Amino acid sequence: MTPGLLLFVAACALAVSIVAGPKFPRVWLALVLVGTVSLLGSAVFVLSGAAPAAEWRFAWAPGGDPIHLRLDGLSAIFVALVSVLGGAGAAYSLTYWSDHHYPRSAPRGRAWWSALVLSLVSVLVASNGLHFLIGWEVFTVSAYFLITLDRGWRQVRAAGWLYLAASHVGTVCLFAFFSTLSAKTGSWDLGPLRDRADLAPLLWVALFGFGVKAGLFPLHIWLPSAHANAPSHVSAIMSGAAIKMGVYGLMRFTGWLPQPSGFGTAIISIGAISALLGIAFALAQNDLKRLLAYCSVENVGVITIGLGLALLGASHGHAAWGQLALAGALLHVWNHALFKALLFYGAGAVLHSTGTREMSRLGGLWKTMPWTAALFGLGAAAISGLPPLNGFVSEWLIYLGLFDSVTGRGPTAWAALTATLFLAITGALALATFVKATSIVFLGAPRTKAARHAHDCTPGMRRPMLVLALLCVAIGLAPLFFLPAISRAIGTWNPAWANIAPAAPLATLTPVQVAIALLAVVAAIGLSWYSSRRGVPRTGTWDCGYALPTARMQYTSGSLAGIASGWFFWILQPEKRLRRPRGFFPLESIRLERTPETMLERVIAPFGGGVLRVSTAVRRLQHGHLQSYILYLLAGLATMAGLVLVLEVFQ
Amino acid sequence: MNNTLNLLIGLAMGLNLMALGSGRLPSVIRTVAIQGMVLGVMPLLIEEHIQWLALAIAVGTVAVKGFVIPQLLQRAMRAANIDREIEPFIGFIPSLLLGAGGTIGAVAVARVLPLLPEHAGSLLVPGALASVLTGFVMLIGRTKAISQVCGYLILENGIYLFGLLLLKATPLLVDAGILLDLTVGVFVIGIIVDRIQRAFDSLDTRKLTILRE
Amino acid sequence: MNVILETVLRLAGWLLIAPLLPGIINKVKAWVAGRRGPPVLQLYYDLARLWRKGVVLSTLASPGFIAGPAIAWVAVLCAAQLLPLGPAGAALSFRGDVLLLIYLLATARFCTAWAALETGSAFEGMGTAREVSYAVLAEAAMITAVLSLSVHTGSVTLVTMLAPAAGAGAVLLGAGLFVVLLAENCRVPFDDPNTHLELTMIHEVMVLDHSGPPFAAILHGASMKLLLFALLLTEAVLPVGELSPVAAAGALAGGVLAVTVGVGLVESLLARFAFRRVPLLLTMAFLLCLFALLVAWKGGEA
Repeated sequence: MTPGLLLFVAACALAVSIVAGPKFPRVWLALVLVGTVSLLGSAVFVLSGAAPAAEWRFAWAPGGDPIHLRLDGLSAIFVALVSVLGGAGAAYSLTYWSDHHYPRSAPRGRAWWSALVLSLVSVLVASNGLHFLIGWEVFTVSAYFLITLDRGWRQVRAAGWLYLAASHVGTVCLFAFFSTLSAKTGSWDLGPLRDRADLAPLLWVALFGFGVKAGLFPLHIWLPSAHANAPSHVSAIMSGAAIKMGVYGLMRFTGWLPQPSGFGTAIISIGAISALLGIAFALAQNDLKRLLAYCSVENVGVITIGLGLALLGASHGHAAWGQLALAGALLHVWNHALFKALLFYGAGAVLHSTGTREMSRLGGLWKTMPWTAALFGLGAAAISGLPPLNGFVSEWLIYLGLFDSVTGRGPTAWAALTATLFLAITGALALATFVKATSIVFLGAPRTKAARHAHDCTPGMRRPMLVLALLCVAIGLAPLFFLPAISRAIGTWNPAWANIAPAAPLATLTPVQVAIALLAVVAAIGLSWYSSRRGVPRTGTWDCGYALPTARMQYTSGSLAGIASGWFFWILQPEKRLRRPRGFFPLESIRLERTPETMLERVIAPFGGGVLRVSTAVRRLQHGHLQSYILYLLAGLATMAGLVLVLEVFQ
Repeated sequence: MNNTLNLLIGLAMGLNLMALGSGRLPSVIRTVAIQGMVLGVMPLLIEEHIQWLALAIAVGTVAVKGFVIPQLLQRAMRAANIDREIEPFIGFIPSLLLGAGGTIGAVAVARVLPLLPEHAGSLLVPGALASVLTGFVMLIGRTKAISQVCGYLILENGIYLFGLLLLKATPLLVDAGILLDLTVGVFVIGIIVDRIQRAFDSLDTRKLTILRE
Repeated sequence: MNVILETVLRLAGWLLIAPLLPGIINKVKAWVAGRRGPPVLQLYYDLARLWRKGVVLSTLASPGFIAGPAIAWVAVLCAAQLLPLGPAGAALSFRGDVLLLIYLLATARFCTAWAALETGSAFEGMGTAREVSYAVLAEAAMITAVLSLSVHTGSVTLVTMLAPAAGAGAVLLGAGLFVVLLAENCRVPFDDPNTHLELTMIHEVMVLDHSGPPFAAILHGASMKLLLFALLLTEAVLPVGELSPVAAAGALAGGVLAVTVGVGLVESLLARFAFRRVPLLLTMAFLLCLFALLVAWKGGEA
């Protein structure tokens, strides 16, 4: 069984599942699982070193260029990611987006799902610019159809359009990038071109193109609404795998092309800003899925910090910390996919059973949804970067790289120092965000009837969540086990770093993490057992002796985040509406708070509006009156003549 | 000696930030007074041979900046019956961060400037730049007339630090002149403060916009 | 065998000495106020009493209500084991352990906040909102302080970082870390551990509904955290790692005592700040640490 054979099996299974999907859900699930498991197998082959990085060239030439595929360490990391989320999401969607609930869109969704997974993999293995672009476009379009599965809703359609439009702005840049590349190299074939210094400036174009897809600030405008309005399994794969395609593109081409000067610093700055502002926006959200979406901006920012530092390390010849940062970035690519998908599945389960994403209408769900609450809590702890879970390991690696870079006192130290401070603030804000998200939704008292009568997710939805949670714990407790895979990807990115082990004592961290986890579990169980030895009387919350606490007196998501999000009012620009209660028998009082997508609503929409107004004004010139057109001609001629005259005079 | 001088300038930089961060007028005035005294001692450290003139100037500076001006300001504050809380235009934390950024920037910029070799290792120039910046932040970011006077004093302290660079070249008489100007200025402001208070029932300089016609 | 004995000794030391600190603080406060005050060992009595008591739970509380304090306690205990004790070194030391320490404290914060929000009480919500928000600034200051030690010594391992004195920036770093200590341990001027006005508190208000053994775990964890910060501050400022064992032990004890008395004096002489002033003070702590970092940087270049 070679990676090639496995890839072939996967492609066949996924292709058949596109056809079989709409009619036979169970067959479709089986086929998708076969496909994703064989994809995972091929990635594991390459990552474990059991098979070397492989290339395949075929005689068949769609679009005029022969097909050229490549599966190396870097793409295998992402293939593994797509396969896990593709399989888990398929299993989840079968009950979450079932034929019973959505008779019209569910069959369509299954076909597009297979198409999405297939196109994602084709982008990852394509080693030809033309086919890369074709795969990229198919992936964009199938993601669009998945986002708009529930297209009866206006905001879903709007989110879909925004996604499509923003994606295509990025794709235009990628067209420019690939066509210039092929014009300069004379072929669409892609591969390492590290000694062609004249190609370096192209990376700026690629940065924009891939940055839109990755959701880097301020190119993230499409991301929150698309992720919030898509069905949850789609949000999960969009957040976990699709935006990672942007990261993949950046990693791929920074590895293959020489970097222009200042590129590493630019990347690390963009990463730091994305991380900080992403989490600031996330903290201020009241919509659970929008919160998770903004948090993706933050995590991509963290990954980008790692990549930027690796680029700085590569350009200044510091293998040690460059490697640490890249290892952290690559591991965070996996980690973020795992816990973010887990969180989106959790949010989906909540949405499925209560019908709302508005956190202030939820609360106390742990009683009716214990499984979801526990798994969501685990995901929240992991995404906050808490030991002994996986988020900590990757952030720790990035921090180590940053610290080593600062103590090295090289010319890169200032960038690293600033990024460290941004990362520290981001980490603490992420903790605040996820304390808020879990506690408002799952703890306390239910705030509405819908929240009181929730029901837990079905085993069909629970199983994929359990798999993801186990993977989170596994990476957290045994990071050493995953290190060879990461090292192989690092070797692919920069062959000069291939045979150096990263200078991180993961061998020591692994038992420490296990010990912490064991102690925590023992202490939790022990204390619970000891406390209940004489029975536990239950009464109402003490609440400082207040006799009639109601659910509406609880802190809400807005008030819990109020202090910290107040520090970011300059960018969040929250819209507030307040009507105080008046008179002796006040009828109605209102307090509304909404955090708009500032970049979209305050920058891009006014700009677009301005362009539209100008073009409408210009369009008025074209009205079909022949007489006026002749007048234009005359005016044009007169202007030209005047211009010539003036020029004559001046010469 | 250079180390002591740097320590004092570092202290003055810290006092800059304290002035930006404190929310009550008396503590701002106190901070500025301490800064004035710290600066007043410096000529003694720079001059190798302590002459009676340098000594006199040092004593004069300490007395005027450390006692006379603060006393005047406090008198004005009491006489005009001013609310002691400062209401900033630019919030405390942003102005603190601005001041810190300015200080770090000043240190960075001073390395690039073409300075005499004997001044290269000293913090005199960064300290001067930082004080000037802090003074401007206070002048722009505070609304009360008295806190603006404090900003002006910090600004002047920065200029004084620049003056120390040229201590050997300029006669001390110039410094004395500056000091005199300053004292007179504070006198005048003290009177104006009183007038503003009587005319507007407040010392909020924002209300002066009524006079724009 | 030796290793096991040493570990047991360390654990016992941390567990037994920690509750002494709040007692000393209270004694200092009583002394300044001219009272006799509670005995120094008061917290030990309190812990023993709480441990024997039963638990009353809110009807809304999930199993996390008891698991939270337990995990937070474990996290602080594990973090403490990473801290070196002068020449004796740490129970466990590796490259990057300082980051694990900071993140373990974050774990403790997450678990406490989780447990606080279980009961659906607005008071606990208020405390949690403050705790997690101010922690943002405190963590920034903490990372900057750690970074300055790192730059000073060129290392990312606590044992090496804390061995020498902090150099020229020691005063700045010490002041910054002291403010962080006050904030992280919820002492005056950030929080008032004595007040009974729930509206004005951070940490105390988060644990209002806890009782019995879980509450004992919270109190004991808080005292260990105080000891941890006091030791960190002492070792960051003094060259404890370079002294002889006896002198180092003396320096550590003296340093911790000085910090504790300092906290007590601050508590006696200062009033709690208005909450809108808290971010300002923490920003100052951050700037102090930042300038300590710059001084360390400059010192290394010359």
